[in-house]
Amino acid sequence: MDVFAFFQWLDTSWLASISKAYGGVFAVVQVFHLLAMLTLGGMVLTGDLRLLGVLLKDVPSEVVIEHTQKWFSVALVVLLASGIFMSSAVAIKLYYNSFFWAKMASLAFGIFFVYTIRRPLLRYDHSTINPWTLRLVAVASMTTWFVVAASGRWIGFS
Amino acid sequence: MLNEILLRFAEWLDTHAWSTALHESYYMYSWVESTHVLTLALFFGMLVVIDLRMLGWAFTSVPASTISRRLETPMMIGFAIMVVSGLLLVYAVPVRTTNSIWFRMKMVLFVAAGINALLFRNKMKAAVGSWDKDPIPPKRMRNGAGASLALWSCVVASGRLMAYDWYDCHQSMPYFMYWLAGCVHEMAEFE
Repeated sequence: MDVFAFFQWLDTSWLASISKAYGGVFAVVQVFHLLAMLTLGGMVLTGDLRLLGVLLKDVPSEVVIEHTQKWFSVALVVLLASGIFMSSAVAIKLYYNSFFWAKMASLAFGIFFVYTIRRPLLRYDHSTINPWTLRLVAVASMTTWFVVAASGRWIGFS
Repeated sequence: MLNEILLRFAEWLDTHAWSTALHESYYMYSWVESTHVLTLALFFGMLVVIDLRMLGWAFTSVPASTISRRLETPMMIGFAIMVVSGLLLVYAVPVRTTNSIWFRMKMVLFVAAGINALLFRNKMKAAVGSWDKDPIPPKRMRNGAGASLALWSCVVASGRLMAYDWYDCHQSMPYFMYWLAGCVHEMAEFE
């Protein structure tokens, strides 16, 4: 698959014609991207710190996970949609940016991890799962999303 | 008058060697800014969970006071680090920040959000024994939670928009905009 061809296509797409021509629209979308990232971060922290027994210890972890997962998915959809729009404005530049690829790799892993490992595992009664498995899942999840957020911020610095 | 005092103070900060050093240090400045954003995730993330409960949109089976009490500490830790890192960012770029319309807007919204949070907190404390376990809190609480989310979102938005130079002093703008941004020298040219 020619990845560069996709970036070239994105750079000349109708999305790019909007994001490049209207700075105000780009800035507003950027704000929504940030708000979605902060919401996603909050849901990850609340769920994972509960699995680690740090937060909300008097609330069943199944309840915390159920509610945070729902809002996590909402935030992820906004994050992806706004991210694609923002990428279209500087598609070729991003192709050559190492932090962008670090973010994409960690994001892909994060999505894979949440929907194929974390979520299916946490559907079971948490008392039947080895506590160390729960802790490992929580630490892996927080680390992954921390890398996504940090590498995303560093795209702007590089 | 206030604009002149603020600008003079910013210019004084700008003469500090540490301010210049922080601004010119690629890694230090970037790490302070990253810390600001990441602790914002801790603060705003916890705030969203509390406000969603108060709106009756999440954690409806959990008493509202439990959510608010348990998440208050991490939220305040995030808030404290966010404020310290934010002050460092202002210290690194004092003049441009002082003359930023977005920063001024952010500070006004920050105070408004803080007042709303204080009022909201007192009402939440009074919840125990009344509507605490109701899945959907009373309308006044939902209004407070909605206002909290809206105000803090606007604080985040104005902070993000500070990166843009649309209304910086070097731009050609009407007198009123110069006054809003505190562009003292540009205002003097009008007179």
